[in-house]
Order: sequence, then C-alpha cells, then structure tokens
Amino acid sequence: MEKSVDELEKDQRELIHVLHDVQEEFGYIPAQAISQISKQLKISESEIFGVLTFYKAFSLKPRGEHLITICVGTACHVRGAPMILDEFERKLGIKAGETSEDNQFTLETVNCVGACALGPIAIADGEYHGQLKTRKVDKIIDKLMSTKRNGSD
Amino acid sequence: MKIIIDGKRIELDDKKTILEAARENGISIPSLCDHQRLSPFAGCRLCIVQIKGRKGYPPSCSTYAEDGMEVKTKTPSLQRLRREILELILSEHPNACLICTEKENCDEFKSTIRKVGETTGCVLCPNNGHCELQDVVDALKVDKVRFPSVYRELEIKKEDPFFDRNYNLCILCGRCVRVCHEVRGASTLSFTYRGSQAVVGTVLDRPHLESGCQFCGACVDVCPTGALSERALKYESLADDTAATICPLCSMGCKLEVESKDGRILSSRPAPEGGVNRGQVCVKGRFMIKNLVHSPRRILKPMIRKDKELEEVTWDEALDFVACRLKKYKGKEVALVASSQVTCEDNFILQKFSRAALRTENIASPVSVSPLSTYRELVQEQGLKAGLNFRIEDISKANVLFLSGADLPVSHPIVWLEVLKAVKAGAKLVVASPQELSLNRYASVWLRNKPGTEVALFSYLSKAFLESEEDGGHSRVEGFGSFKKSLDKLDFSQVAQTTGVPKEKFMQTAELLLEGETSAFLFGAGLTQNPWGAQNLAALHNLALLKSGRLYPLGLENNLRGAFEMNNGHSDKGLSIDQVFRAVHSGSIKALYLAGPLPDLQKAKIEFLVIQGSFMNDNMEKADAVLPAATFAETDGTFVNVEGRIQKFQKVIGLSGEAQPDWWITSRLAKKMGHEGFGYKNQAAVMKEISRDIPGFSKISNTKLDNDDEVFVHEEVKGKEKFIPFKPVLAPEETGQKYPLLMSVDYNLDYYRNLALTQESKGLRMIRDSRWIKISPEDAKRLKLNDGDTVVVDSVSGKTQGRVRISGALPKGVVGANFLWNEDSDFSLVPLSFSSSFKNHILNIIPVKIKRGK
Ligand code: SF4
Ligand code: SF4
Ligand code: SF4
Ligand code: SF4
Ligand code: FES
Ligand code: FES
Repeated sequence: MEKSVDELEKDQRELIHVLHDVQEEFGYIPAQAISQISKQLKISESEIFGVLTFYKAFSLKPRGEHLITICVGTACHVRGAPMILDEFERKLGIKAGETSEDNQFTLETVNCVGACALGPIAIADGEYHGQLKTRKVDKIIDKLMSTKRNGSD
Repeated sequence: MKIIIDGKRIELDDKKTILEAARENGISIPSLCDHQRLSPFAGCRLCIVQIKGRKGYPPSCSTYAEDGMEVKTKTPSLQRLRREILELILSEHPNACLICTEKENCDEFKSTIRKVGETTGCVLCPNNGHCELQDVVDALKVDKVRFPSVYRELEIKKEDPFFDRNYNLCILCGRCVRVCHEVRGASTLSFTYRGSQAVVGTVLDRPHLESGCQFCGACVDVCPTGALSERALKYESLADDTAATICPLCSMGCKLEVESKDGRILSSRPAPEGGVNRGQVCVKGRFMIKNLVHSPRRILKPMIRKDKELEEVTWDEALDFVACRLKKYKGKEVALVASSQVTCEDNFILQKFSRAALRTENIASPVSVSPLSTYRELVQEQGLKAGLNFRIEDISKANVLFLSGADLPVSHPIVWLEVLKAVKAGAKLVVASPQELSLNRYASVWLRNKPGTEVALFSYLSKAFLESEEDGGHSRVEGFGSFKKSLDKLDFSQVAQTTGVPKEKFMQTAELLLEGETSAFLFGAGLTQNPWGAQNLAALHNLALLKSGRLYPLGLENNLRGAFEMNNGHSDKGLSIDQVFRAVHSGSIKALYLAGPLPDLQKAKIEFLVIQGSFMNDNMEKADAVLPAATFAETDGTFVNVEGRIQKFQKVIGLSGEAQPDWWITSRLAKKMGHEGFGYKNQAAVMKEISRDIPGFSKISNTKLDNDDEVFVHEEVKGKEKFIPFKPVLAPEETGQKYPLLMSVDYNLDYYRNLALTQESKGLRMIRDSRWIKISPEDAKRLKLNDGDTVVVDSVSGKTQGRVRISGALPKGVVGANFLWNEDSDFSLVPLSFSSSFKNHILNIIPVKIKRGK
C-alpha cells in the first residue's frame, strides 16, 4: 500500500529537476537550497542529500567558470585517461575535484560517458573532445579561457 | 496457492515472498538486508534461490511466490555463490574473529574486552554477540576470506546522544535507512554518495540532532551488525536477566523488554513482537528507563521531620507518626493528590484511603485537567453518543486525518506511526497548529492558526464544508438546523482576522474532507487545556459529525485512563488539583497527602505535609513525612493505555532500598489509622476488589489479565448524534503592552512522577530541554537574545525562568515551553498557568513578557 511506484518516480524526477535548476543557477547546491527544497517538495533533507551525492552532476561546492570533466571509465583508462588527467592537473594547478583559486576552472572525473569508442574523452563546458592526446590539452584550456561562459553550456 | 520449497509442499493464502514462505515453514535461507517489517531491498544477495524453469538466481526476499513454483534454496551452486558474496562483504568488515579457529574458545571473554574506540574484531564489538553477520558466517561455514581486506577509515560518530555510529562495520544493508523512512517517518538517514564511496549518512553529514532524528533507536535495533550501538551499554557487562514490562512514560503503553544484571537495569528495548507498539518505541522507552529507575534522586528510606530535620526511620515509626497526625484532620481541611502515572491498584487504594481514613472528598489528580475529562464532560453534558475506547490500528485505516493540539512524534509516538501508515497508503493529513511540526512534511494542509483560535477555525471549516457539500443528509441529525443557523454569524473576514488562516486553506481542507471516506480527528491536551477547551471540542465534534468521523482523545499520562476509571462514578464534590494548589496557599487546607504532582509548595500555608513518592525534589523541604514509593519496575500492577487497553505487568527487578509499592504504603497507613478492609496481601488482591467495585473493570479477573493482551475497559456507549450550536468565544486575552507575547504550552510527558526526565539525561536535554523557552528568530533578534541565555518569563500570575532556544518553528509573537508539573522551585510553568477564575483548567496560552535573567 506504499505510494505507487509511479508516484515515487515522479517525486524523484521532480527532485532531480529542481536540483538541476539550482545547480545551473548557482553552479553548485548551497546548503540553504537543500532546506528550501525540503520544505517545498516535502522530502527530508537527508533524502535530498542522498540523491544529490549520488549524481556527479551536482556539486556541493561552487564550481569554476569552466568545467572540465575527464572520463576515467575502464575503456578510457586503458587508452590513457590517467595521463590526460595528469596533464590537466599540472596545467591548471589543481587536483581532480577541485576548483582553481581564480574560480576559472573546475576539474572533475566521471566513470564512462558512454562513448568508449572515442576514448580517452574530456568534456569541456559540454563539448566532447575524443581520442585526446596530452598535447591537445593546452589548446582546450586556451579555448575555454577565450570564451565567456554563458548559461549552461 | 501451492508452492514447493526444497521438496516441501507449502500452501499459501496470501501474497508472500519466497523468503517469508520459507521462514514460516521452518526452511532457513541466509539473509541480511531483509527485515520482516521493512520493504524488500534485495541488496545483500545472500537470499538467492533457484526456481525451476527460470534462469539465474533471484533474491527470495523480493521475489513473490507464484502458484506452482518449485524453489530450491540450498543447491551446491547457491551455497558456493553465497559464500563468495559473503566473503566480499567480509572483505570490507573486520573479519579476523569471524574466521578465527579459536573463536568458540574465546566466546566467554568477549564481554570483558570490548570497551575500545574502534572495533577491529568481534571480541571488541559492542554488539554483545547479537550479530546477524556472525550468524550468517556460521550458517554458511565460511572460514576464509580470499579477497584483500579493506579498512575504510571512516570517522566514528559520537556527537549525538545515546548511540554511536561506526560505519566501518556497516554492510550497507539499508535496514536503518528503511526503518527511519518507512516506519518512523523521520528520514534522517539516507544512502549517500555511491560506488565504493557509498555510506549511510545524514544531510551534509550533520549530527542526528540536526537531521530530524527522533532518537527512537529503531535504526540501532534493526542494524544486523555493531555499526549502530547504544553508547551506555558499551560500558556494561552482559545481562543475566530479561523481563517484559509496560513503559510508564506516555499513554501509548509500549511493551518493553528490560535487560538487567544483579537487579540493576542495563537497557530497555521494544519487545520484538506484540503490544500496541509492535517492535517500536520512542526515545523515552528506549533510553530513559534505566536512568529514572536508578536515579540518584530516588527516595530509599522512610523519613519524618524531627527537630526541623528530616530523619530516616523505620516504616513502623514513619507510619505511626503519619497516622497519628493525620487523624486530627478530616473533610475540607485535608486533601490528597493522586497521580495518573501510578497503577490502577495504587489509585484505587488512594481513593479508598481518602474516603475512609482521611474522610475527605478532596481527591485531586491531573485527571481532571486532561483531554479525557474535557471530552467526557462534553459527552455527558450534551448526551452524545461517543465512547473513549478505540484501537490504535483503526487510525491507520482512515482516509483523512485531522490533527490538533499534539505533536504526535513526540507526544504520542505510536499513534504517529499509525498516522504515517495511513499517509503512506494515500490518506490525507490536515494539521492545525500555530507551531510548525516535524510531521508537517506529511500534511496535505497545514492550518497555521493563531494560538487559541480553534473555535473559529473549526466552525468556519464546518461552514466551508457545508457550502461545498451537495447534500449530506444532516438534517435528520438532532440540532443540525440550529447549528447551521449559528454558523451564519460567522463572517469570513472576521474569521480570517481571528485565526490568521487564508481562505484557500479552508477550501482545501473542506475538499479533502469531502473526498475522504473515513476520517479520524485526533486531539491532544493542547486543544483542551484551557478554559474554552470544551468549546474547542464542541466545534471539532461538529466538524467530525459532518463527516461521521470519530474523535480520538489523546491523553498524556501512561495510566490516565486507569486513574480516570478508578474515580469514575464518584461525585465531583471535592476540590480539583488547581483548587487544591490555591487552597494550600490560602490556608484553607491544613493537611496535604501528596502522592501525585504539585508544583512548588515552599510558600504553602499548611500544618502537615506527607509526600509519598519516588524522587526527591524541593517540596521535601516542606514535608513532615516522606514515604518512599517503588517505581513501576519494582512492582506488579496494571496500566490502562490511551486505547482503553488494560495491561498487566510484572516487576522486572526487586525493590530498591526500603521503597514499597504505593498501594502497600497507603493500605498499611489506613490500617494504622484503625480502618478495616485494607489487609491486601498483594496487588492481585487489590485487583480482585477493583473488578468487584469499579464498573469499567467488571468481570475482569487477574487470570484474564495475565493471559490476554486484548482486555479493554468495559464501557457502555449511550446517547445520540447531535450537533452543538456554535458560540463565539473570547479569543485569548489580547496581548497588551505589558505582556506582548503569547506563551503556548507544549504537552509532552517528559516527567515520571515528580522527576523531570531531563534532570536524569543529558541526551534528552540535548533533544528537548524542559527548561527551554522557545522563541522565534524575529523575537530573539528584537529582544537581543541568543541561544542559551537565561530569561525570566513574567505573566499576570507569576514568574518562571528558562533558557532561550531560538526556533524557526514558532511564529513571531509566540513563545513555546514544555509543560512539567515540577522540576525544582525556580522552574515550573504550572503556577503560571493555574488561573483562579477557572476550575479544572490549566491555561495553555498565557500572555507573557520576557526579560534577560541572571
Ligand atoms: S558486527 Fe558482528 S561480525 Fe562484525 S565485528 Fe561486530 S560482532 Fe563481529
Ligand atoms: S533513531 Fe529513529 S529517527 Fe533517528 S535515525 Fe534512527 S530510526 Fe531514524
Ligand atoms: S548501519 Fe547497520 S542497518 Fe544501517 S546499513 Fe549499515 S549495517 Fe545496515
Ligand atoms: S514513552 Fe510512550 S511511546 Fe515512548 S516507549 Fe514509552 S509508552 Fe512507548
Ligand atoms: S570509459 Fe570513457 S566513455 Fe566509456
Ligand atoms: S535478504 Fe534478500 S537480498 Fe538481502
């Protein structure tokens, strides 16, 4: 007699939707937002936290102007993702999961983005760069620096 | 439906999982994440089975039996797979002890060496051998772990009261998450992060204190490992006795299982099965019992005042002294205060003693200021057809629930679990409350009325309901015409002003009420504990009658109903408890026999005061004699819970010091005063007389009580259905310049006899200190007050002290405080809320002002 599965799924979708909006708006999910969403959607704060930490798309800390995500899934790994990640970390002076001090870049990793054939892959502000070589890293960073990020991608 | 499990033919009547069917038929399947009260989770995969004609290994805990299924539970390949799964689980768990060849030999020493910070093996685990992981390892005969061990190095959480959390021991079975969400409705715990990072946690990893935890301990009780463990138990040795009793800390009357060693209580848990609580309790029953029974404030010896000092004496001397002095008073000069927290037997004897030995009708008790009394009065006055008995599980069958005057998860925890069940099954909940309650998350409508405006609120709801209804056929019910007409006087703009509730909330509620088929209207002391309580109830009654719903009166004390029945039928000629309090101060009462609660008596003008109680408090300074009473844990007796269920219990430990059961003390004293008919040998002899003399207990024998948990107070429901015309009441006194704030009193039973539970438990003080004066952030800012500041609360009828607790749950202008009969002399709301102009009422809405104190 629990809430029907449909309804549960609907609640869950609604929550993810709202979390997305907040993430877009602020670049991260502030603690204040969790308590507001909890009141609005009538879901406990802990449940919301459970959902938002499940997805890499949400972050609890502010993200930089530009987001670079490196795939470290198995296929990309064997094709040299660790080296690509190293290169980004060295060039940006931050570790995976961190944001640069000038708030320009956030570097993150992800497990497989479903384009294994193109590995290794980096996603820079939503743009996919496949079959990446370490020497291309500079170019990607330069390109990001020259574009002002507007909106989501 | 027929299925075959391991060659055994099994007949099934209703929908069941394979695991349930197997278990009921004595076939054991290893399992860890499954729990009989929780939804299937299928996380651990130990319960896998093979089903003929199907591929793979479905988990039996989430696969439902179908007609004709042939299931195998122990094929070699299943066992091999299970062992491999278990080895994987064990690779992230301290496993040395589990696979140690010496483990049997070391069993008896386990309890002595487990007082360590980190658990690195079973010998050091706070689980005391109650470990389901151990059981599964034994059942599957796992003796090695072939995977590399992983220690997650998670920090052990100790910042919360009552229990520690060590997620290094967690096997991610999700039972705690599910029980907290599905059964308790707190949803404090969630799975957070994922993959190898996954861990059970709270929002932003905050302490439970800040994550909506009720501290019910349900998560601790379902945890199959030592990950969650009761802190106080870690320093104890193993119990040598387990006994059942009934919790005395609220009107639910939960069945408890108490563990003790050498006559000292170590812990209390919900009895796993049965009772109203079916395996659940609240923070008080779970973590408070031991503290109160073994409180350092216990009175352990009889005392009498000699040369200005209380001196310990023998029972004989004490009783002789009291008997001799009491004989001098009778009738109006003397009063007795009884308790609704002691047993029926105790109350019966107190009543009999007052009439026979004290020769007085002044038998006062908190019963007269309870929702039960207000309700009964209304029913009798109006000749309504309404009983007091109900069954808690009926609440979960309602489609619409209406709640007023109680914060259920705190005040009536088991009723809350039933409400939650209803809501999860699709019922709609409407909450009328000036304060924001934690359960509002489950409410479809929250009517945030100004304190004390319920008559207008409920009556306008009736009006809105009648307007949206087509034809309810109410005209056949007596009084409907004049009721309807009386509602004409209600004009919305005025109602909006009085209650502060916007129109759409009324409409939404009316709509929900219209849609729902069966309805339940729950009310607590918050609704009735004021001079217009009867009118509040009449207005709620009308609304309920429009829906043919029933009212559920939710009293506070564990034996309120029992005490009520012991007095039922007697005239109401004597003074009520508030009148006694005033009379001892005016000097019209000369001798007081205090066997129940009464606030500070330092300034009372009495000649002779006897205290019969279990705990010391400031009133003892005034006492001429103190008679030590046993607690519930040391006595046999009966309590009647909120449903009207009569529950007999037996002592779980022996008497403490020289304390004796209340019935024993008072009947001995009566004998000393020369009265016949008090020669009871035991509690059962008293019960025998009760079943002879008390109508509600007629034909209820000791044997019946011993063998049946389904014994209810005998009641005859007479009367008829009838509407009561609406009469406007004076709203609470306008908060003037002098007293600009309204103090609204919360009713949670945080005391046992004359002990405030917060006095004995730092943990409870962290959750809800009875000295908190809760104020809204806006008022705090205006008054420049911070959390923890000492304040003086001033009202027309007196002052009290407390500590500021800023709470966003309160609206501006309203102050919240918890009701306690007495703690110590500088803190008690009671004198403030006794008002001389009303008999039988405690004001729960008091105009006050707040100043910073020292
Ligand atoms: S949880 Fe069980 S298996 Fe694990 S260390 Fe404690 S007693 Fe041993
Ligand atoms: S104690 Fe009760 S409310 Fe708190 S987390 Fe455990 S189950 Fe939930
Ligand atoms: S803490 Fe206990 S109940 Fe909760 S998931 Fe871990 S092992 Fe299971
Ligand atoms: S206080 Fe009430 S709800 Fe809590 S355990 Fe005792 S009887 Fe049950
Ligand atoms: S592993 Fe990188 S896309 Fe799949
Ligand atoms: S008990 Fe079935 S998967 Fe855990």
